[in-house]
This record gives sequence, C-alpha cells and structure tokens, in this order.
Amino acid sequence: MPVEMMIPPALYMIAGALILPMLPKNLRAGIFILFPMIALAVIWSLPDGYLIKTTFIGYELIIIEVTRLTRIFGIIFSLIAVIGGVYSYHQKEVGQQSAALLYAGGALGVTFAGDYFTLFIFWELMAVASTYLVWARRNKESEKAGMRYLLVHLFGGSLLLTGILIHVGHTGSLLITRLIPDGSVSSWLILAGVALNTAIPPFHAWLADAYPKATVTGAVFLSAFTTKSAVLILIKIFSGWEVLIFLGVMMALYGVVYAVLANDIREILAYHIISQVGYMVAGVGIGTEMSINGTTAHAFSHILYKALLFMGAGVVLQTTGRSKLTELGGIAKKQSVTLWLYMIGAFSISGFPLFNGFISKSMVVAAAGDAHFETAMLLLLLASVGTFLHTGLKLPYFTWWNKSKEEILPTKPPINMHVGMAMAAFFCILFGVYPSLLYNYLPFAVNYEPYTLYHLTESVQILTFTFIAFWLLRTKLAGEPTIAIDTDWFYRKPAKLIERIFVDGVTFIFDYAEKVSLKVVDYFVQFGRNPLAIFFKEERGTDYHADQHRASTQLLTVLIVFSFVLFALVSLIM
Amino acid sequence: MIKLHWILLGVITLISILADFVFLADYPNKHWWSYIPAFYIIWGFIGCVGIIYISKWLGKIFLQKKEDYYDAG
Repeated sequence: MPVEMMIPPALYMIAGALILPMLPKNLRAGIFILFPMIALAVIWSLPDGYLIKTTFIGYELIIIEVTRLTRIFGIIFSLIAVIGGVYSYHQKEVGQQSAALLYAGGALGVTFAGDYFTLFIFWELMAVASTYLVWARRNKESEKAGMRYLLVHLFGGSLLLTGILIHVGHTGSLLITRLIPDGSVSSWLILAGVALNTAIPPFHAWLADAYPKATVTGAVFLSAFTTKSAVLILIKIFSGWEVLIFLGVMMALYGVVYAVLANDIREILAYHIISQVGYMVAGVGIGTEMSINGTTAHAFSHILYKALLFMGAGVVLQTTGRSKLTELGGIAKKQSVTLWLYMIGAFSISGFPLFNGFISKSMVVAAAGDAHFETAMLLLLLASVGTFLHTGLKLPYFTWWNKSKEEILPTKPPINMHVGMAMAAFFCILFGVYPSLLYNYLPFAVNYEPYTLYHLTESVQILTFTFIAFWLLRTKLAGEPTIAIDTDWFYRKPAKLIERIFVDGVTFIFDYAEKVSLKVVDYFVQFGRNPLAIFFKEERGTDYHADQHRASTQLLTVLIVFSFVLFALVSLIM
Repeated sequence: MIKLHWILLGVITLISILADFVFLADYPNKHWWSYIPAFYIIWGFIGCVGIIYISKWLGKIFLQKKEDYYDAG
C-alpha cells in the first residue's frame, strides 16, 4: 500500500520544534501551544483502524496505527503538551521549548508506531530530547544526572534494539505483535528495554535520579511521556505476562518505601510515579479486558494528576528556590492557590471520590480481584495507603503547613503557571465526576461502576485511617538531610573506582612516561652542551668552552693517540 | 487539627461503619478479608504505620546516607 498523504501527528510536534527557533522570542511560547493543539485535533479526527504503511528494505512498516488504545494515549499526550505549554509560557529558552516538543513528538511517534523500526526511532528521539530538559537546569547536579539519564536510556535502547534484531531474525517481520511468554531471548530483551523506560526495578533508578534535577517546566513533561509511552508498549506486546503482576506490585510498594525516605519534594513525586506505574504494569500482567481498560484509564488519569503535582512542586521551587522538606514550611497562607491546586492533584492520586484517580486506580485493583489475584489486590490497596500518606499528607504538610526553621518569602509565580495547574485540576475533577467521558474511549467496553457504596466505604475507611495514622506519627516523617541509595548505586559508586583505574591510572602512566622522556632528553641535551658533565658533577649545567679545556683536551688526545700507537707497536712485535 | 476536624473524622468513620454493617451486610463477599469486620479501617491504619516504620527501619540499616555520599570519594 502506498504511503497516504496524511501527516503523522508526531510530525506536527517535530515541525514545531524546528520552527520555534526561527520565530521571535516573544511569540514562541504562544505558538508552542498551537502544535500540540493541532496534533490533538488530528488524532481526534483519525478513524479507528487508520493506517499509514510503507516498505523499507523489504520490510513492511506501519508508521501510524490508530486503535482505541493508541488514540486515547495520543489524546492525553497531546493534551498534556498543551497544558505543559501553558504552564511553561513564561519560559523563553528556545532549547527547552524545542526539546519539549521533540519529546512530545517522540511520545506520539511511539504511540502510533505499528512496527519496531518506527518505534525505535521515536524511542531514541524521546531519550535525547528529554535529556536536554534535565541538562537545561544548568547546574553541576543536573549535568551529571542528565549524563547518567542519557547513558542508562542508551543502554535500554541497546537492549531493545538487540531484542528487535533477534526477533526480526526469527520472524522476518518488523511488525509489532503481542508476544507470548515463550522464554525466547528476543522477547526478554525487548521486555528489558521497555521495562527500563517503564521504570520497573531494578531499571528504575534513572527516574528518581533525574526528574528532581530537571528544570521546573521540564519535569512536567518528563512526568508524562517516558513511562506512560512504555506502558502502552507493554500493553501492545506483553499483556497477560504474569511476571508483570509481580513486578507491578513490587513497583507500587517500592516507590512507597523510598518516598518515606526522600527529602526532595520532586523526588517524592518521582518515586510515586514508579509506584503508580506499578498499578499499570500489574494491570498489563493481569491481561483481562478490565485490567487493560484500568491500565489505560490509570495512565490517562496519572498523566493529568502527576503533571499537576509536579507543577505545584515546580511553583514552590521557582518561587522559593528550595525543594527540600528540611528547608520548607510555613508558606501555606502565602501560596494558597498553589497549595489547593496541588491538593486537587493529591486527592486525585490518592483516589478520593470525585477525583480521577478514584475512577481509574480502582479499576486496576478490582481487575486484580476479579482475576483472583487477591494478594496482588491487597498489596495494591496497601500501596494506595502509601500514596495518600506521601503525596497527600507528608509532602503538603511539610512543604506548606509545618513551621519552617526560618521565614520564607516566596516570590509571586507567573500567572500562567497557575493557569496550567488549573487546567490540569479541571480535568482531574471532570473525569472524576463524569467517568463515562473517559470510559467511553477505553480500548474495550467498560463493565465497571466506580461509585458503588462498597467502593466508597472502602475508600473512605482507608483514607480516613491513613490520615489518623499519619497525624499520630507525623513527626517521624519529617524530612532528613540525607539521600537514600537505590539501584543507581551499582553504576554511581563503582564509577569512582572505574575512574581511578581507567582515568587516573592511565593518566599516571602517561605522566610517568613523560617525566622519564624529559629526563632522557635532558641528559642528551646536557651531553650535547658539555660532554664533560658526564664525568664531572661541577660541569653540569655549564656549556663546553673549547679554550678553557684546550690543554686538558690536547693532553687527553695525545694520551689516546700515544696509547693507540703503543698498543699497535706491541701487537706488531708480539 | 482542631476538635471540629476530629469530630468530622469520627462522623465520617461512623457513617462508613454504618454503611458497612447495615447496607453492605448482604454484599456478596468476594474475598477472604471481606469477612473481617471493618477490614479497610484496620488495613488503612496498620498499613500506614507499617509503611512508616518499615521504611524508616530500612533507611536506618542501610539505605540512608549523607547527602554528599556519591561525591565523597
């Protein structure tokens, strides 16, 4: 089939990234928002089953494949790019603006890719573009974290590419299809590559390492695209792989444990991305229609409320210059708008009734129960306790309400930051109040009602007693000026040793060789200047003067000639 | 937390318990924990306490390090 004359949605974003640098500085932020809006309109208008196919060196490629699943992901990626654009309106650095659009374009490219080649191209585009959003903070920490982030993602990309190549070698096709858990090396390598972007432990540490060090606006985009596009790929390729239930539940609890120990507010939120994505991964592993619907709905909700939470934390960082719980507090009255917009995100992620987390997270949990994974269901409920504990209680309490050590006077944030937050908050409530607005667009017909008396009672009891336990033990959750080591220890700590062996060691050898060479050269120079320096210390450092040494030289020469003659005569006589 | 807040929490809890024991008494129990009265109250409270203590304990025994841990040689 020939390539149809339809521009893939990803290209609108990428075109935007290329056009923005050519525009006047004052127009860029406004025009930025147009590109994801156009992409959103295009995605909305594409019919189900729409394909753009082509062939490449004999392989069939599907550049765009529109299904109910890919459409809903495409819509939320575009929508959050619009909201992120509004939040970033005050931010005039073109590098960040273009990187954000490239990143969003990469996410859309991955979303609609029907073949591994297209997927891989956009996958790597996302890695490179997102790295810039970390580096753009322009401090030593973000520079190092950005480099680690890039290297880890290149490693993940290598795993994915290796898996793809083996897979293509076996099947002769580049098309993305659901893989069965047959233990093949290619499947596991592809899973490992996707798992890295999904932040499944032990491949997760890049997220909590880099996101807190990104720019204020960059972190909003980062929170939306990488992990959720990877979740979509998991759904497409690995749905029903039961190992993912175990990994998902582990993720959900892992993030919760580390969020207790985190001191940086954006690190707490980053660990809760890992925790929330755990629900999605578990949903993929369950693999039923209800769990896939739940995973999709939760990814949709998560992108909205997590962006909102990062926006709130970003306002705090922007206006106070602080992001650590140990340095914050006492600004609730000075930042009431930011605080309550943040709290809408917190109520959403915690699964409060009438907020979008309630209607999506519960679907994954219920799907686990319906599929008789009762332990998983119970542990996911436990993880939701941790979510409310940290995102809804610990973080806002110690950031805004608790007394600070010194008075903090936050500056006024740009109005667009609050507008961006308000937009995300609006959607969090809209889908919480009218779940059918989301349910109608999920991949399968929805046979789930979130607002039952049982579910409401369950949620109210869990949330109320989580709050009571927090209040009784809140002093134990106060921030500490520490870090918690994670699996990045394995590449950060040995880095010093590797540096000593391969950098310091080699440098030492080169230094030594240079010193020896210089000494040898010095020796020959000395010898050239004054050969007597070899025999007499007092001659060293002086030049040879023929007149000064004429008598002794003549004597030496006579002696040598005489010796030669003498030996010659003796040898003739003998 | 002022007294009114605690009273509100108490009222919410009472309503939820009432719903649990009166309106949901005949609810088809799908899971083993559904037979435990006020299970979600216990799960929420014990879960929260457990998360705090276990995480703090893990932090103390090996996870928490000084902020300059990676920079200090």
